[in-house]
Amino acid sequence: MYIWFALKRIFRGVVMFTLLMFVFSALFNTVSEKTQRAQIREEVTMKVNRLKDLKPEQMEIFRAEETERLIKMYRLDRPVWERIMVRALNTVTFRFGNSTIMKSSGGSRLVVDIIGEALPRTILLFTSAIAIELVIGVWLGFKKAQKPGSALDRTTSIVTMVVYGLPSWWLGMMLMMTFVYTIKIFPSGGILSVPPPENGLLRMLDVLWHMALPMITLLLIGFWGLAYIVRNIVLGILQEDYIMSARARGVPENKVLFGHTLRSAAPPLVTMGLLSLLASISGAILFEGIFSWPGLGNLYWVAVQQNDIPVLLGDLAITTGIYLGGLVFLDLIYGFLDPRIKVGGKA
Amino acid sequence: MNMKDFLAGLSDFWNEFRRDKAGLVGLAILTVALLTIIFEPLIVPYGEVNSRWRDINYWEDNSSGAPPAWTNLFSSAKKAVTTTLSKPKVEEIEGDGVSIFRYEFGYDYRYDEPPLDLVFRAEGWGTFPLLVSVERPDGQTIDLYQYVAEGLDGDDLRVTLANDSKSAAYQFLAANASEADMINFDSYSIKPMQIMFAEATPTMATASTPLEGEYKFVVQTMIMSEDVRIEKPHFTVVGAVSGALGSDTGKRDLFSGLVAGLKWALLIGFVTSFISVLLGVLYGIVSAYFGGAIDTTMNFVYELFVSMPVLPILIVISAVFKPSIWFIIAALVIFSWTGPVKTVRSMAMQIKEETYIEAARALGAGKWRIIFRHMLPLLIPYSFASMALAVPGAILYEASVSLLGLGDATITTWGQILHDALSSGAVLNGLWWWVVPPGLSIAIMGMSFAFIGSAMDKILHPKLRTR
Repeated sequence: MYIWFALKRIFRGVVMFTLLMFVFSALFNTVSEKTQRAQIREEVTMKVNRLKDLKPEQMEIFRAEETERLIKMYRLDRPVWERIMVRALNTVTFRFGNSTIMKSSGGSRLVVDIIGEALPRTILLFTSAIAIELVIGVWLGFKKAQKPGSALDRTTSIVTMVVYGLPSWWLGMMLMMTFVYTIKIFPSGGILSVPPPENGLLRMLDVLWHMALPMITLLLIGFWGLAYIVRNIVLGILQEDYIMSARARGVPENKVLFGHTLRSAAPPLVTMGLLSLLASISGAILFEGIFSWPGLGNLYWVAVQQNDIPVLLGDLAITTGIYLGGLVFLDLIYGFLDPRIKVGGKA
Repeated sequence: MNMKDFLAGLSDFWNEFRRDKAGLVGLAILTVALLTIIFEPLIVPYGEVNSRWRDINYWEDNSSGAPPAWTNLFSSAKKAVTTTLSKPKVEEIEGDGVSIFRYEFGYDYRYDEPPLDLVFRAEGWGTFPLLVSVERPDGQTIDLYQYVAEGLDGDDLRVTLANDSKSAAYQFLAANASEADMINFDSYSIKPMQIMFAEATPTMATASTPLEGEYKFVVQTMIMSEDVRIEKPHFTVVGAVSGALGSDTGKRDLFSGLVAGLKWALLIGFVTSFISVLLGVLYGIVSAYFGGAIDTTMNFVYELFVSMPVLPILIVISAVFKPSIWFIIAALVIFSWTGPVKTVRSMAMQIKEETYIEAARALGAGKWRIIFRHMLPLLIPYSFASMALAVPGAILYEASVSLLGLGDATITTWGQILHDALSSGAVLNGLWWWVVPPGLSIAIMGMSFAFIGSAMDKILHPKLRTR
């Protein structure tokens, strides 16, 4: 049953996520408690300043009591393992607390709001890039596998290796230097012009215009590796006996390629392809900062610069969640495409 | 596996490898890189680049944000190149009780744009006067600067002529240029370098032409007692273009920085990929060999690690713990050993069922003996290809962390140079010589390892080979 298989996979993903959050919570325990204590001090000082008609002794008592109350509330007086547990559970339920410095555009200091604002922008940029990369990559991979050793196959393989270690953020810097500051055809960053256009359609076009250069950067590097993986998978299948027999029977080449081969190539193709894209994107997260594209990757830049630990940890939790979600999603597609998986229940 | 077999295997491997052109290119680049590291002290123009990359005093005589020297080839107005004149002609004129030392530095000037500055530097002991003058190719001599150094004890002497010779240059200008032109100038607004390297004509104040030829910078001093001395006198001509790859806005020589970063890139790449691939291969074999509950547990741990996005975690760890380079390498190993596990596990599953393993077991060989003596050697060749392919990733991760400004501040890496470039607005201001070389180096190193790795991969996995 596919539904059981799917539920099992999703449950497994949730367990993984919870486990990882425990690991992170333990790893970053000291630093998050340090920021929490600093936040408590700040909060108490603010309250004390508001109470003007108290005597100094009373003020001291109030300060001590209030500090103790907050420490109790945040459970900082409990044993270490309990604090780690509580913080992990908070993270799993997306209660990240307050940031130290950063604010969302609405002025909120809740980490959830800051991240919630950035998330859709990252998704917008990367899903569009992935969609285009997938189409180009699969097409190019098939073309390469069809005539292995041909000029096309050889040159594209060399390009794949040339861009293998190329940092996407560096390419972004180069393209910016060329197309933003030398030949001024693209905006220097952000997602909307200042001031943003009123009209809805113009607004959309404005976003597209801002998205163009980051997209071009991702595309220039993105699909080569994917095409190489597709090529190797398809090439392996093309060497199978049933393909040879299909060809011998006189089945048209296109039908062999997209009927016989694609059918059996689909499961590993989807996994390997999406996996490589997922990995490359987790590596490309920094490149948002180059274009000041205000997504999750850019949030790392800002949080690092302002040393805002809660935002940094929240961002990490969400990024990990998305990454894990991607992996689970892959498994689901795999199970859908390859009936053997869900029957056996074992991967 | 004895030595003879190993050598035969190696020569077979080389025979196949040699036919792959890309692989050879990769190997050649790697060889050049290794040679560069070995001969670094001979190649680098600034010898102390490794220890003093962030020491602004070390770089103060270089030009700031200057393009590479070879850009002169493409521009119509040739700019003076930054050079050091360190071999003066020394003359000693003995008097009664005092001796006059005369240091003469020859400088052949063949450019259209004068240097930005001329810096005289030496180490001095005691009290002595100093007179700096220049003999121009047209025979005129300008006394540029006089000064008495007092009570030095091995201190640095530094005379910057762009500032210190303003009044002398003004007098020289006033003596030559027409009075009508001089109205607009005073001794603060003039540029001594422009005047020093221009033909002495009445129009030199407004439209100067460069005077090419052999200049002689002369430094004279009077030594009055035994304990007075000057050591390491040298001039630095601070040009508008500098070095093989220019300089950054912190006056650092980028070529030196780039060469200094090379060894760290390779070290990070090699150490990380070597340890993590070895760990991964062992992990895969152990998991496959023992099977059962151990296999299941190990699989779970493997999946846990695979579910982590490496770069974000690395960034947060670096931001929180402010790590040294060894810590970063350790973190990279912890997150990247997973690479070969899956493949190795499935390969080891097959090997485990071979009859010779069974025979070994029947002969009483222990499990670790079987793993290390019989299984690992078979999987080692595979791991070499993985190692080569894992190097670029490690270099890239370190560069990414450094780009955020979270790298180890005691060393120089390409990522850090790019971080400095980004935060100083090199992209915005088009200082391409600061942005292009470090990134290109990362890309080229990555490319060469990809070439080597895929050449090895093709030999080890014949199915991928093109027909």
